[in-house]
Parts: sequence; C-alpha cells; structure tokens
Amino acid sequence: MHDITGSFGDVLQRQLELASQNFALLKQHGVRAVNVMGAIGSGKTELILRMAEKLRERGLRVGAIAGDVAGDDDYQRFRAAGLPALQINTGDQCHLDAHQVGHALEEFPLGEVDVLFIENVGNLVCPADFPLGADVDLVVISVTEGDDMVRKHPKMFAQTDVVAINKVDLAAFVGVDPERIAADYRKVNPHGRVVFTAAKSGRGVEELLSALGF
Amino acid sequence: MHEYSLAQALLSGLQEHLRQHPIPGRVAKVHVRKGELLSLSEWALKEAWRILTEGTELSGSELVLESVPVRVRCPSCGYEGEARYLTEEGWHIAVPVLSCPRCRGPVEITEGRDLAIVGLSIEERL
Repeated sequence: MHDITGSFGDVLQRQLELASQNFALLKQHGVRAVNVMGAIGSGKTELILRMAEKLRERGLRVGAIAGDVAGDDDYQRFRAAGLPALQINTGDQCHLDAHQVGHALEEFPLGEVDVLFIENVGNLVCPADFPLGADVDLVVISVTEGDDMVRKHPKMFAQTDVVAINKVDLAAFVGVDPERIAADYRKVNPHGRVVFTAAKSGRGVEELLSALGF
Repeated sequence: MHEYSLAQALLSGLQEHLRQHPIPGRVAKVHVRKGELLSLSEWALKEAWRILTEGTELSGSELVLESVPVRVRCPSCGYEGEARYLTEEGWHIAVPVLSCPRCRGPVEITEGRDLAIVGLSIEERL
C-alpha cells in the first residue's frame, strides 16, 4: 500500500467562489442583500415584510427571494405586499446554496431594487455551511422555540452577524426569558448584534434595520 | 444533514481526477479534511460514501476523516492561530468563538470550513 497526497479540490471552495460571484453581481447593481435564516415558523417572512415597509418609507426599493423546499406561500405574501419577488424551490434540499441563488439572481430584476432579502429554507443547521454572497447574515429565533435555541445550534450562531429574537410579546405566555437566549448568543459570538422584535406589532424593526446596516 | 450531496461532490471530483490521472491499483482509503465549523456528521458522511461508491471503481474504499480545527486571523492585532473555545458545562461540545484570543477583536476564519480530499492510500495490484 502506498499513499498519494495532494489537492483533489475542496468541494466547498466552489460554493465560496459562486458566493463571491453573487456578491459581485449584487454590488454591480448597487444592491445590499440580507441572508435571512431561522427555524420554520420563527417569523422570517413577517419580519422581512415589516422591514420592507420601513425601508420603502425611506424611499428604498425592496425585493425578496423566497427559498422553500416546496410551495410558494412566502412568495405570494411578498407579491401581495407589492415586492418584486422570486421563488426558489429547493426540491428537498434543506438549505439554499450559492448556485441556486446565482440562477435566481440572473432572473431577478436587480435594477429595480436597492435591498434584497433572501429568505433561506427554515432550518437551523445546514444554511450555516453555505454562504450565498449576501452582505449580512440574519438568524431569526422566536421565543416560542424555547430558550435553548442557541445552545442547541452553537455553530450556526457563532457564525451569524445579527440575531433577531422574535415574538418577544409572547415570551411571558410560553415562560421563556429572551435575555437568556441573548446571553447565550453573546457567549458564542461576542461581536454579533442581538435585537428583540415582535414583527406583528412592528416592535424592534427599526433597531433591527440599524443592526443590519440600514 | 447534507452529507449525501457533499459525499457526491467529493466522489465526482475524485472520479474526474482519477480519469485524468489513472493509478495502478485500488483505492483503499480516501483521506478527507473536514473543517470543524461544518455541521456534518462523520458517521453519515462515511455511510453516504459507502452507498454512493457502490458499483464504482471506489467501491469498498474507506473514507478517513481528519477534523480541521478552526484557525483565525485578527485584522486589528495580527494574531494568527487557533480560536478560543467555549467549554462551559451545558454546551456539550466545545464551541469555537470567532473572537481574537489575544485582543478580543473580531476575526476572520482562515481554516475550519474546508471539505477536501487530501490523499489516497493505494493497494497495488499483484
């Protein structure tokens, strides 16, 4: 038996290259993009709609890409709110990847938007491994998921720029302390930003936009 | 959770390499570096490899995984090296913290997100 060593290609390197291409394309059109991740039902779509309202009040043009395993419910909500939107169905893949987003960006009317929200598939494990080429990553946690979400997915949060702890108006009803979630996040990511939000009432939305650099 | 798609990507890359650089023998082991930040189960990756290689020239080869620790670079103080880990009770795994162990500033990841084949062990045919 003998060994051959050498480079046979990093399979994730290709994803990084595609993500850089997406980033370059977005910049070429002057678009700032946010990769919105979080569990199913955490309130990603509602929060995007609320942020879009505020950004449009400031005169910015907003669009959205909805990533889901199947269906177009989120896409329909974006369209109903008047946002240019596009649906990506991943066909059982548990995350968006830079390749799929690249194709979506080719079709998307990038010249008509200043801000693009890319809503990832509801999942707290896989999206962390696949950069898309966005300017900033946001993870949405709802208090109804329990106060142990960060401890259950530490690697995801260690790599996330901004966390929105959503549905804080329900915290008392489900016996969850949002501060505990925030404290866990600060431990794994001392440089990240945490914002408490209640998307339905609009609470924290302005602060979240500022954390995302808007 | 995406072990199969990544195992398939590793396999396709290796098959392409072997087409261009044929080797006289059977591949017994495939050595892979796996970054610690990736959420990949070693068990599932090996199982995916076993199933996906069936019927190919790599059938029966063993995937040998080496975990690559996170390394970081600090743009403010110039630190370059291992990351600090959070090892408090209740976290169960040591969590790499992306903050400079020296000056506590924000850091860039230099290693720990890789997934690459770095070597093969070949059994010569007699």
